Amino acid sequence: MGQYLMAPAASHLSPGLPSRFFAALVVLFLLGPIAIAGIVAFSSGDRMEFPIPGFSLRWFAIALSKPQYIEGLTASVMIGVGDAILATVAGTGAALALNHYRFRGQSVVRALVMLPIAMPAIVLGLGLLFTLAVYDMQPGLLAGVLGHAVLGVPYVVAMVTAALSNYDRSVERASLNLGVGPARTFFRITLPLIRGGVIAGAVSAFLISFDNISLSLFITRGDTLPLRLMQQLLAYADPSVAAISTLLVLGSLAGMMLLLPLLLRKR
Amino acid sequence: MQWRTRMAPWFWLTPAGALLIPFFVIPVLITARNSVYRDDPMGFLVPAFTFAGYARVLSDSYYLGVFGNTLVAAAIVSLVTLLVAYPFAWLLARSSGSSRGFLLWVVYLPIYVSVIMRVFGWMVLIADSGMVNQALLKLGLIHHPVRMINEISGMIIGMIHRYLPLMILPLMTSLQKVDDSIMRASSNLGGGQWFTWWRVVMPISLPGAVAGTQLVFAGVLSDYVIPTLLGTTKFQLLAPAIYYEATTNAAWALSGAMATIVIVAVAAFLITANLILKRVAPWASI
Repeated sequence: MGQYLMAPAASHLSPGLPSRFFAALVVLFLLGPIAIAGIVAFSSGDRMEFPIPGFSLRWFAIALSKPQYIEGLTASVMIGVGDAILATVAGTGAALALNHYRFRGQSVVRALVMLPIAMPAIVLGLGLLFTLAVYDMQPGLLAGVLGHAVLGVPYVVAMVTAALSNYDRSVERASLNLGVGPARTFFRITLPLIRGGVIAGAVSAFLISFDNISLSLFITRGDTLPLRLMQQLLAYADPSVAAISTLLVLGSLAGMMLLLPLLLRKR
Repeated sequence: MQWRTRMAPWFWLTPAGALLIPFFVIPVLITARNSVYRDDPMGFLVPAFTFAGYARVLSDSYYLGVFGNTLVAAAIVSLVTLLVAYPFAWLLARSSGSSRGFLLWVVYLPIYVSVIMRVFGWMVLIADSGMVNQALLKLGLIHHPVRMINEISGMIIGMIHRYLPLMILPLMTSLQKVDDSIMRASSNLGGGQWFTWWRVVMPISLPGAVAGTQLVFAGVLSDYVIPTLLGTTKFQLLAPAIYYEATTNAAWALSGAMATIVIVAVAAFLITANLILKRVAPWASI
């Protein structure tokens, strides 16, 4: 009996050599291409090659002086920020409605706000292309913001709902009973309590928009950064694409460092 | 007061409704409507009620090929990611402390890095004179460099890399529910390792596997970048084909029909997967 008790526990708690080897292979597979792209960004050569012939920062200088990259970055940031604001307002409201109230059609609403995750983005992009014509809108920044915001809503709803799961409504009721209006109660009580989920949702919405291609193809003028980089890779693949991508990774890491204390800070 | 409480949820839902109804619900409806319209030769969409678009898409060998290719690619990518992700998610669910932190970081980082940068890495690695070919040549496994870039193989490799984390994460979530006491209970009652896996671990992990497969399938269906940058036009996939029909060819009715077929297929897939799950793993509610 004793050996039955001990044997499986021991074998499951300490992974053996083969499973460590397997894990190392998967880690190598997942990180390898990213690391290679990061290294090629520092190449002194003219081509995409690895190992690199020498170390240089010239591709960073070239990437930052390419107007199409800077314009693409500007367009992507503008669309991403607008999308994050819209998706966060819409998603937070929807999460509060679904969490706080019981109402008719609730399950339909719940399914509807989560559906953009399951919908293939290419189909949504095509639908938006058709719809823009009906609304007499042109593909561009505004269309990009609105389309990307649709994709961001389910992520905001999921994260705000998670933040609401250990949220005590009695504080909110106390505030309302004391005669504080609903709007002030929301901004003074509810929002600070669920701030972590709201920020996480906004950041997710921004990141999803920033890397989106399938939707941007149809609803922007081909001027977002991922589209510009894709065109560059199709026409002439050089290390400038890796250089700008590496800068973005470093930039977003720095952004995370700035945001993290805000997320973790206790009230 | 009563009226106010009844209307309160709808007040909170107003922004979501103002965004999702005109830019999500109506686009889907318009896509379905366009699919029964007619493309005239000038590139205009003519109101009609015809299934000509569907008939063409479902009979022409080119479009059937596109659907077939996409299904094959999605099936291969799902199967490979499932086989690789399962043991890895198991290790991840069982690990703790700093090794767990590192493994989680490894899974999240690729999601965080732009897909363009990941494709760039693969372009360098699998080029004709790239590291993969040189390693294979040195090992004597091949005598000439194998062409992988702009081939089916390169595209599949890129997709496996893109979607592997999306398979690992839901699998890990459900495998974490397997705790040591259930495993011990199974072996105490005389269950061997395979029996324990088949009757205890596998059923608990099934919802994660289904969720991961759904994510990977949806990803491959709408992937435009990887087929364009790493794939070949000889093996056309759905997303580039739809984009081409809608823009270059201006065939809105035809592309509408293709998109509607995709919506129906995705819905059918989601519903069947959930029905099977309810049957096989009734405790898992999605």
